[in-house]
This record gives sequence, C-alpha cells and structure tokens, in this order.
Amino acid sequence: MILIQILLVIVFALLLMRVLVSPNSSRIKAWKKIIACLFAVFAVVAVLFPEILDDLAHEVGVGRGADLLLYLLCVAFLSYVLNQYLRTKDDEYQIHKLARKIALLEAELKTKAEKK
Amino acid sequence: MNVMSTSNVAIIIPVYNEGKVIASVVKNVLKQFDFVVCVNDGSKDNSESEIAKTKARLVNHPVNMGQGAALQTGIEYALQFPQIEYFVTFDADGQHSLADAQKMLQYLQKNKVDVVLGSRFLGTAKNMSKLKKVILKLAVRFSNATSGIKLTDTHNGLRVFNRKFAEIINITQSDMSHASEIIQRIAETKTPFKELPVTITYTDYTVAKSHNPNLNAVNIVFDTLLRKLVK
Repeated sequence: MILIQILLVIVFALLLMRVLVSPNSSRIKAWKKIIACLFAVFAVVAVLFPEILDDLAHEVGVGRGADLLLYLLCVAFLSYVLNQYLRTKDDEYQIHKLARKIALLEAELKTKAEKK
Repeated sequence: MNVMSTSNVAIIIPVYNEGKVIASVVKNVLKQFDFVVCVNDGSKDNSESEIAKTKARLVNHPVNMGQGAALQTGIEYALQFPQIEYFVTFDADGQHSLADAQKMLQYLQKNKVDVVLGSRFLGTAKNMSKLKKVILKLAVRFSNATSGIKLTDTHNGLRVFNRKFAEIINITQSDMSHASEIIQRIAETKTPFKELPVTITYTDYTVAKSHNPNLNAVNIVFDTLLRKLVK
C-alpha cells in the first residue's frame, strides 16, 4: 500500500468514528448514519482499488474513475447545500417563534403595568 | 361612507424603519379605528418612540425577522382579544387608503367570504414605476400558475379577513415570500375570497424605500418553488 492510501483510509475511518460516537450521535437519524457508513466504505474502496472506480465509470459511460468521482461529489455537495439551506430556514422559523413569544409576553406585561 | 362600529376590527401594521412617517400614518388610521397594532420589527431608527407617541398598541420584535413574521405577530396579538372579529393588514408607509379598507370590511361583513384582498390592478396605482409594474405582473402570472387560484394582484399589503382565516393563516415565510404563502393558504384551505380594487399611492418616500425589487422577485420564486418541492 502506498502512503497516501494509508493516510486516506485512516482519515475516513476517523471521520466515520467521529460521526458514529459523537455525544450528539443519538440525534442523528439512523438512515443518515447508514448513508455515512456506505459512503465511508465507498471512499475506502475507491482509494484502495482505483481500478474498480474506473470499471464503474466505463459501465455508466464516463471516461475515467476520477471524472465519475467528481460528478458524484457535485451531487453530494449540492444536496448538502440544499439540506443546509432548508435546515437554516427551519432553525430561523423556530427562533422567530421564540422571539414572537417574547414580543407578545412583553406587550402583555406592559399592558398589565399600565392598568395598575 | 356610512359609519359603522369598528371596535371589532384590528388594524395590523408591520413597521421596519418607518420613523419618518409612521406616527402620521398611525394617527390617520386611529381616526377611524380604535384597535391598531404596530409590530416594530427591530427597526434601527426611531420607529419605536414614534409609535409610542400615538395611541396604537406596540409589539416589539427583539430582532428583525421580516415583514411576514411581523404580520404573524400582529395577527397572534389581535387574536388574544375575543372582541376582534376582523383583521386588516396595512402598510406602514401610507400607500394604502383607509376608504379602501372600509370598503373591503363592508364587503367581508355582507358577503360569504373569509378574505378580501386589495388589487391595484383592478383599481389604480398612482405613480407606479414601469419596472415595478412589469415585475408585479410577472409575479401575478407566476402565482396564478403555481397557487391554483387566479388573482390580479398577488403582492398587495392591504388585506381584510375574519377570525376564521386569522386562526389558520400561520405565516411561516418571514420575508416577502409571505404574500405567496398567504395565497397558498387560501388555495389549500379552499377559503372563499374576493379581490376588490384599491388605490395605491406611490409617494417619493415609498419609491425611495423599496430597494431591489428584482432580487426580491428571484427570492420569492425560489422559495415558492422550493416549498412546493419539499412538501
């Protein structure tokens, strides 16, 4: 095995461990963990046996394995961006609900204080 | 205009950096309506103290959250008062006319609809720029193609609705996309509605204020399509 392969496999393994045994692990959905595992396995295979990636690329009509990898990366990145955008919107909505509650409570307190 | 009781009407005004005009707009509204809620959406200017000068009720957002969020806050505030039966959303910059609001209220009270929407394209828009007109017309086409109900003006801030619709409106889109969301809500709940002509007056002030309508339109289209996609 060449040095880069050893390094990459170690990095992928550590990253996967980080996802699976993080303190917030129970909050990550099970299917997301499975996808992460599959992805890590795919990454390790791609690093150790680049010719498999080449074969796969030819199978779907792409010239080189590296090109296929780039396309897959694009898909992964775009879905990440979209996912993150939706999550931010969701978080924003939660914050707005909280802030609205504060605003309404404050208005209520003020009205009560004025009545007294 | 015949006089009628307005104690069951809440006027909801979202306010963001309107310190220059808000006091005069609110005072004008208070001449005809008692229950006026100003939702100060984290303004950076003196809007808050200007509103405090008037007899309007003030609800303060701790941070800026957008016009849609401010409307929802105003609606939820007014819903707390059981005597309120009718809700009017009104822009803070004075571009709407009170006579139109009265006319829409009367229509709502006399007809079997839950929502009355103002339309500047059925009525008149004074001093509207050509570019704004084109963008708004495109917005109408886009909305009519995606929402399932046909309207002539989809981004009009003057709306009147009853308690039933106020309870289900639940605006979640904080920014300008809330206009499409309200239409979406009308369509999906099959709420009976009516569009009435209104007059919108674009003063130098309102024109100077509205920034980047084009970019805004892109945001609205993007968010509306995304919302459809995710549902």
